Amino acid sequence: MTTSAWVLIVGAAVATAGIAVSVVPRGLRAGLALQAFGVALTGVAGAMVVIGAAGVGSQFSNGLGPTVGVDPLSGFFLAAIALVSTPALVYARGYLLGSHHAPAIAAASGVFVLALVGVVVARDAVTFLVMWELMSVAPAVAILLASRSADTCRAVLVYLGSTHLAGVGVWLAMLTLAHLGAFTDLHALAAQPTLVRSLLAGAALVGFGTKAGLMPLHSWLPRAHPAAPSHVSAVMSGMMIKVALYGLVRMLFEWLAPLPGWVAPVLLGAAALSCVAGVLYALMQHELKRLLAFHSVENVGIIALGLAAALLAADAGQLQLAALAFAAAMLHTLNHALFKSLLFLCAGSFQRQVGTLDLDRLGGLLRTMPLTGTAFLAGSMAIAGVPPFNGFASEWLTLQALVQLALHGGPAGTALGALAAAALAATAALAVFCFVKVVGLVLLGAHRQKAVANSHEVSVSMTGPVIFLAGLCLAIGVVPGVVLGPIGHLSPYGPLPASALGITLVVPGSGAFAPLAVAAFIAGCTVALRLARRQAGSAAPSPMWICGQVPDSRLAWSSAGFTKSLRLVLAIVLRPRRTVSIELDGVVVHSVVHESEVPHLFDELLFRPVVRGVLAASRLLRRTQSGSLRAYLTYLLVTLAVVLAVARIGVS
Amino acid sequence: MGGNALAIAVQLAGLVMAPLLPGTIQTIKARLQGRRGASPLQPYRDLRRLWRKQSVTPYDTTFVYRMAPSLSAAALACAVLVVPVGASTIGWFGSDMLVVIGLLALARFSTAAAAWDPGGGFSLMGAGRDLMFSVFAEPLLLLALVLVAAGPHSTDLVRMVAAAGDAHVASTPAHWCAALAFGLVVLVETGRQPIDNPDTHLELTMVHEGPLLEYAGRDLAMLQWTAAARHWLVLVLAAGLFVPLPQTAPWNMLALAAVVTALCALVAVVESSLAKMRILRVPALLGAGVATCMIGLASWIAQGAT
Repeated sequence: MTTSAWVLIVGAAVATAGIAVSVVPRGLRAGLALQAFGVALTGVAGAMVVIGAAGVGSQFSNGLGPTVGVDPLSGFFLAAIALVSTPALVYARGYLLGSHHAPAIAAASGVFVLALVGVVVARDAVTFLVMWELMSVAPAVAILLASRSADTCRAVLVYLGSTHLAGVGVWLAMLTLAHLGAFTDLHALAAQPTLVRSLLAGAALVGFGTKAGLMPLHSWLPRAHPAAPSHVSAVMSGMMIKVALYGLVRMLFEWLAPLPGWVAPVLLGAAALSCVAGVLYALMQHELKRLLAFHSVENVGIIALGLAAALLAADAGQLQLAALAFAAAMLHTLNHALFKSLLFLCAGSFQRQVGTLDLDRLGGLLRTMPLTGTAFLAGSMAIAGVPPFNGFASEWLTLQALVQLALHGGPAGTALGALAAAALAATAALAVFCFVKVVGLVLLGAHRQKAVANSHEVSVSMTGPVIFLAGLCLAIGVVPGVVLGPIGHLSPYGPLPASALGITLVVPGSGAFAPLAVAAFIAGCTVALRLARRQAGSAAPSPMWICGQVPDSRLAWSSAGFTKSLRLVLAIVLRPRRTVSIELDGVVVHSVVHESEVPHLFDELLFRPVVRGVLAASRLLRRTQSGSLRAYLTYLLVTLAVVLAVARIGVS
Repeated sequence: MGGNALAIAVQLAGLVMAPLLPGTIQTIKARLQGRRGASPLQPYRDLRRLWRKQSVTPYDTTFVYRMAPSLSAAALACAVLVVPVGASTIGWFGSDMLVVIGLLALARFSTAAAAWDPGGGFSLMGAGRDLMFSVFAEPLLLLALVLVAAGPHSTDLVRMVAAAGDAHVASTPAHWCAALAFGLVVLVETGRQPIDNPDTHLELTMVHEGPLLEYAGRDLAMLQWTAAARHWLVLVLAAGLFVPLPQTAPWNMLALAAVVTALCALVAVVESSLAKMRILRVPALLGAGVATCMIGLASWIAQGAT
């Protein structure tokens, strides 16, 4: 066996041992440390395969026996899982201290992470599906262990319900492909009629798309992710939805080829919708973790834009461009995993210290929690897609791919590429808007309640992981070419041109982008100007000028206030609700109650009618359930008769 | 090579010459309004005055507030060095149009986040409006640039500027639609009427000026320079992308100077003849720009796309 295989096996064994150790009394710390170390080892094995070591284990098989293996694509996802999960598990040591059911939650998170590893190393349909279901159930267990409130139970119900209903698509696609032998023979599907291929592609899109949180199938995501303990949220948002994208990539780029023509435009449309609507709803949220969950929808949309662009470019015969778009999607997968887990972990620290994540009740945390605060600021800049952080590097590549698609992709490519690029530009602007709001409300300004003023920095085991992740966000932003090299080899369309991999990124048909030079210039310039500013000296600090009034933190701007102009402009799409009730005591205003909300229209207009229909149908069906034995015997008899009749007539 | 050196010298000098553009606009505007007005050099005098003053920092502010002026100035300086002058650029940072959009976003992020630190209502009102405009202006800018990139088949600003002289490119309807849309972007980015009134002293109506309210001294000087650099950026880009200029030095630089001055005059005329719009109507104007781009896109596809 090769070195990477040994590393993988040892890693998985150590992580499994860690799960066992974390449930024995007093074993929590050691167990989590073992889990983190084991997962890190699996990531090392994955990284080794990506950068050129021979693949591990077997290839995909159509059989049903358990087989595992790692090829470069799996290796990339293994490395990403480790980069997110190791900090999250280290963080959990501090985070879970003193909470109820800490050992059980630790064990559930370990099982969850191993299930993610299992999905990407599975090499047959049965292993894949078992790990897939385990990956869905394990976080639900962790959520319910951490909290049993009615809201949480409802969130878990919606989560399990929608992912299992959509999981039918995954099962259908995987088992049919195994039956047709498409895992080994890449031409097996070409012989099938278009209808079969269309149905398979549809099943895969619905199944994997739901789990990835693509709109309009995302409804579970903003409920389940905020409910989980923060280190589990970090892995869910950081990696679980990416593992669903891994499945989608396998389907669309390997097994389902040649794809029916409608798949790429439909994926592009869903991706653009996820981007714009995801970030728009994120902007209207008042709770930090829910806001971050909506941002996951947005970022999955950005990744899917890259994937759809790759498919469209390949259709138009632009293989180099397809490789670029694919690499952009993979780079954004890694980047989003890093900054989203960073943000969720920081949110956990804030919740720990303050007790709430209501945006309008935080404020000024940068002064009381400088390390976590600075890391959170870095993560916010990364997700907002401003240079020199990693979010900009991958959004630049994705935009570049879409624009090049518009320039070279034929009439359809032109229209789709230009519109998708415009949607991505709007998304980027909205993300800046959203994270200016978040940074302002969470980190800056006056403390809005006593608990914030009394908060202090969390322990090293909780600051260390977030600083590590923030460092990675900055490093990948400054030298994206270094990670882009290995990622470039993952695409089925051949490697990226060498010019795209250096310190300066030169994509064919674009101007160059020198991230290191930009970062160095901005840093140098900022420091020089800052020093020049210091020379002039400062007058004594003064209160802010608000027309002579005394500043009062109760009058501070709220989340809704900052976004009001956009809410008014987009009222026709967002349909915000607002009620003001004024209680009069004679002619004196006694009290004013103001309520406003931005309803989630996908839930109200799309899912509520479906749920209502299902409930009505089940009410109808309930009439057949009389409870009398004779009725059930009659049903059995009728069924038997029908089956016999069908067998006799011979419907195959 | 000599021509290149001159163009790069002008590009570097842009860092110093930028305040000349808002100064010129103000002078021409004053003349149009029947006043004598200040000289085009007035912004330099303002900067000199501010540079000599002490800064005042409000209570309870963090490094986010203190770094914002230098960070936005640095981002804009970097962007000025990306935008080519006369189809050549210094090349340290590349010459891609999407990098310019990213750097503008960085400057916007830092000033708007800084508005939260003292937490003043007027600053936040302005920052929120500025960000709201950007939600519509950024796709507009991107669409306009995609339409311009259709000519040279590249998003490289150097090649896009070089192709502007090509009669084949300049005569396409898509190019003209892009020019109209870019005009709106110029007004948004420079904060000019009818979108924003740079001369206002009424805090309630401020957009770009709002987040600057608490700053003083050298901080304010940097932010005012940043605003001037944004003028330089979009006006030089507009002249390069949409006006066919001679290719040989030194005529290309003289022509560029003439065209930029003419664009300043045009902005002044627009500003003198139009009243400021209601803020909530601005997205409709930018939406009209997007619609124009759609027409351009349709005509491009009708002509056979590639």
